[in-house]
Amino acid sequence: MSALLVLAITAPLLGLVPLLLLGPRTGERAALGMLAVNVAITAGIAERVAQGGRALGYVVGGFAPPLGVGLRADGFSAAMMLMAALVLLFTGLFAMTGPGDMTRKVKARGSAGMPATFFILLLSLACALNLAFLAQDLFTLYVALELLTFAAVPLVCLEGKAGQLSAALTYLLFALFGSVLYLLGVVLIYGLYGTLDIAHLAGLMAQGTGGATAGAALALMSAGLMAKAALFPLHLWLPPAHSGAPPAASAVLSAVVIKAPLFLLVRLWSDLAPLPLTQVAGPVFALCGAAAIVFCGVVALAQERLKLLIAYSTAAQIGYLCLMFPLAASDDGPWSALAWTGGTLHLVSHALSKAAMFLAAGLIAETMGHDRLSGLGGVGRVAPVSVAAFGLGGLSLMGLPPSGGFVAKVMLLTSALQQGAWWIATVVLVGGLLAGGYVLRVVVIALQHPDSDAASGRGLPDARECRWRALIALALAFGAMLVGFMPLAPLPFLDIGRPVTWEGLLP
Amino acid sequence: MTGALLFGLAGAALVGCGVYGLLTAPGALGRVLGFNILGGGVFLMFGVVARRGAGAGFGADPVPQALVITGIVVAFCATALAVALLVRLCAVQAEAARGGDGDKET
Amino acid sequence: MTGDTLSPPLDLSALEPALPVLSEALMVVAIALPLVLAFAALVPAVRRALPHLLVFVPLPALIAALAVPRGLSVLVAPDPFRFTLALDAPGALLLGGSSLLWMTAGAYAMAYLRKDPARPAFMVWWLLTMAGSFAVFLVADVASFYLAYALVSFSAYGLAAHDDTLEARRAGSLYLALTVLGEALLIAAFVMLASGTADANPQIRDAVALLPTSPWKTPVLVLVLLGFTLKMGLFPLHVWMPLAHSVAPVPGSAVLSGVVVKAGVIGLLRFLPESVPLPGWGAVLCGAGLFTAYYGVAVGLTQRHPKRALAYSTVSQMGVVAAVIGAGILNGTAGTFTIAAYYAANHMLLKGAMFLAVGVAMASAPRRAWAVAGVAGLLGLSLAGLPLTGGAMAKYAIKLIVPEGVAGTLLTLSAAGSTLLMARYALLVARSGTEGAPPRGLILPALALAGLALVLPFLLFEAVTGLPAGVAFTPAALMKGLWPVAVGLAVAALLAWKAPRVPEVPAGDILHTLGFLGATGRTIMGGAVAADAVLRRWPVAALALLGVAALVAATLTFAVVPL
Repeated sequence: MSALLVLAITAPLLGLVPLLLLGPRTGERAALGMLAVNVAITAGIAERVAQGGRALGYVVGGFAPPLGVGLRADGFSAAMMLMAALVLLFTGLFAMTGPGDMTRKVKARGSAGMPATFFILLLSLACALNLAFLAQDLFTLYVALELLTFAAVPLVCLEGKAGQLSAALTYLLFALFGSVLYLLGVVLIYGLYGTLDIAHLAGLMAQGTGGATAGAALALMSAGLMAKAALFPLHLWLPPAHSGAPPAASAVLSAVVIKAPLFLLVRLWSDLAPLPLTQVAGPVFALCGAAAIVFCGVVALAQERLKLLIAYSTAAQIGYLCLMFPLAASDDGPWSALAWTGGTLHLVSHALSKAAMFLAAGLIAETMGHDRLSGLGGVGRVAPVSVAAFGLGGLSLMGLPPSGGFVAKVMLLTSALQQGAWWIATVVLVGGLLAGGYVLRVVVIALQHPDSDAASGRGLPDARECRWRALIALALAFGAMLVGFMPLAPLPFLDIGRPVTWEGLLP
Repeated sequence: MTGALLFGLAGAALVGCGVYGLLTAPGALGRVLGFNILGGGVFLMFGVVARRGAGAGFGADPVPQALVITGIVVAFCATALAVALLVRLCAVQAEAARGGDGDKET
Repeated sequence: MTGDTLSPPLDLSALEPALPVLSEALMVVAIALPLVLAFAALVPAVRRALPHLLVFVPLPALIAALAVPRGLSVLVAPDPFRFTLALDAPGALLLGGSSLLWMTAGAYAMAYLRKDPARPAFMVWWLLTMAGSFAVFLVADVASFYLAYALVSFSAYGLAAHDDTLEARRAGSLYLALTVLGEALLIAAFVMLASGTADANPQIRDAVALLPTSPWKTPVLVLVLLGFTLKMGLFPLHVWMPLAHSVAPVPGSAVLSGVVVKAGVIGLLRFLPESVPLPGWGAVLCGAGLFTAYYGVAVGLTQRHPKRALAYSTVSQMGVVAAVIGAGILNGTAGTFTIAAYYAANHMLLKGAMFLAVGVAMASAPRRAWAVAGVAGLLGLSLAGLPLTGGAMAKYAIKLIVPEGVAGTLLTLSAAGSTLLMARYALLVARSGTEGAPPRGLILPALALAGLALVLPFLLFEAVTGLPAGVAFTPAALMKGLWPVAVGLAVAALLAWKAPRVPEVPAGDILHTLGFLGATGRTIMGGAVAADAVLRRWPVAALALLGVAALVAATLTFAVVPL
């Protein structure tokens, strides 16, 4: 029993109290403090999991599953929690009212400090994410996903513009459609097995009594999760929502919010469904992932606005994790473990680098007053740190060393080639080419001379980037690079606590 | 025809109606309604499933009822959020339209 | 004489290392110094001091090339990363040559760009490219090689696109696109290469030793050859080179053509097995190299700007290097790689000096430009292998690798083509005078580099080939070296007297026939955007959601797996 798990869910909610009771400035500080506490809690969980070499568990109210609801942290969920907590803290810092914000010229453009609502939503996100990473009950996971959506949708339309509102509405409706399908799958599972606890279900499903109903249930749940993760071809809501939101909101949306349904998709197929089923279904997800990488990558190349480009890049990068399914599910010892590690590292490094890129893009847009690529010539001179953060984050997307994206790409490639999955290897390489195309396109424009934009007659604005915010973006980009110093081998930490079981964790 | 079968068929019909509405409704309000009908169907199915779970000799399985109530609350919140967004969107659009007219007048 | 009797390369060091750690530190500092300075340039004080320091930054690399014992390797970072450095004979030749070019060109650059407001940015790219180029010659493990190769390739963009003209932007974008492509080819090759070994990041040498028996021998060799010949500019992958090398500022062109393309050469030397004959592969590489050698000359002759003529000469010369490497691995000739590196180092210095000469001539009055053209012509003849010049020694050395026969004859004859192209280049230099007198900051480094380029091959010949330098001065050898040059000069005179009117082939030649590729790309992008708009419509996406669910369910149900 580890109370840290409960604390991870309740602590962010406690942070809401000062926000609601005290003034916005004080409440903001308290919220940031609570986000830091969240990082400490998740780091503590990860440390204990690593130390003990086994999962942590907590059963709510002392009722053991299957009747009660249990929380459980294994290596995979601890890594995801820590990553999410770090991204939330850094975006919180980016969004806080900083010194000089009240007098800055850019304040008029509304992109400096964020309103107190933003911090309420950020704390709610932290709670929902931790619940999604810890819950072991399919219905609790449904609630966690809904909480996540309810916190994410208002982030899209914080400024209340018409475009943002309609993007948020599409996002909400499609996510609801997805979650109803997920719930339908849960209903079918309950009808079959009479329990919703993942550990118990895994044992029951392995006996193979589910028939077509079990297959339908898994399919419905997966489709619902894919809709929430915006996996191709279900990405309709992602580009407008992620590109229209304020930069700090885009960063958390792209970096961590869509990672929770992806995480659950992995959990569903690696922990719940028996291996033979995963081996059958894996190629379908890989196919969707491959289509996402290639198709959304090409569309990203054609974008004329920076934030849309990054949003489409997110839609493409989600695909890499799905390529992992058939590789990790094959019974091929070290090579499937390598794919598992590669996919997870890709998830983590993408979260850090994408957050850095969205924050940097926000600062670039703030400095220039717009984010049209054709008008960004020479922005490297007025916003050098932001452009550096964008470029370093892009390094990870392109899979160039030294970056987390490189390590993840090498692992996925190695695993794919060793298992003879040539088409997956090709997609990984093509995805790198496309990412190189759209990242370098921006960097090249940023490095050009500003005066060459003679056609529009605009020079560079005399505004300067907000240096300390740019440094936060840069720190996130460096974080993505640090992931690149992982050894090129399966990470034992991610295998702690698998397969899922309650043995030894119950009181 | 047993009660379970009847309710099951009704649930399936509601799910079908809801999905049809979600697919074809031209506006956001129709989709919200479709989502609610679909959700209602799913909750009904959940109730039916509870009967099956009672096959072990208990009078009834109480767990799905608790879950359905939670689910209804969540769906209600979702509907409220969607409608609030929709109202706000209409207001902003109407304001923009008025602003546009105002520009023309001056 | 065949390569079998070539003794292994001797220790080039004139200095005995005082301490074993000193040698290892030298290798680290050679790479770290430019890298650290590039980042330190963020500090204004460092930025102001940089122009005076630039000449001395390559000094540790030069000392390392001279003093570090061959074969010494150093593990810089401990186990999981395994960043290892090692110096072998080909690496030392290229490292030493490049450090000399970086020094002289660095001094030249500071004079050349003295009025350029963007000079600090140029210096940062300069230092990054320098660090990458030293690293690529020194690293010994696969992952670090990839890192170094990416560093030198991507930083070189900053040098090529410095002037930021429309031309430079086009050339820079093409360069970047092909660089990204090259990186993708190489990472695939490296992953396949490394997965044969027990280690995730093996030493290059260990991985390559396993290559001949690897199940992935064919794909690895295809990808390695494509990836590195792309950097060397072998036909038809040369299209970026004349564009990128001619738009850069003069010192930038010098290091691009001199040093950066050698990253491709060292790549081939590191990732091809030397002592195991690979007949088919060697023949392909040798054939492609010879074709490129002639092709570069043919297109280069039509050029009207000396820098573009030089860029095509680089294409041609890299063809020669590829032909030598191809002939070497065809027979598994020992010593091939050292001699190929020797020839490449010779080209590095000569080409650098010739580029610097163009800048001197362009800053000179017409009369002086003729004098510059005299020196430039001498350098060119050395490149073509005129006896008694340094280049003749390099030509003599490569003949030891390429056997007599069709390939040998073609290689000898390519010297005539080179002579012709160099005559054309000298003429263009002579005509490129404008007005004024070039500052001493341009003349001195150019002259120093020219002197080094003409003399150094003599000093290195014996160490590289194991033969006394005298063998190249026998009457037979002199005659053998002289006649292709004489033929080339005769044809040049003939052309000068009665030249056919040939239109200038636009730089990038076949690129312009590939215009349809750009149109295709735009069509694909347009199609994808249109398809995306359809897919993102609500009814379509909602149907897709149901479709995905149905697809997964159907896959699970109809698969032959018991549920």
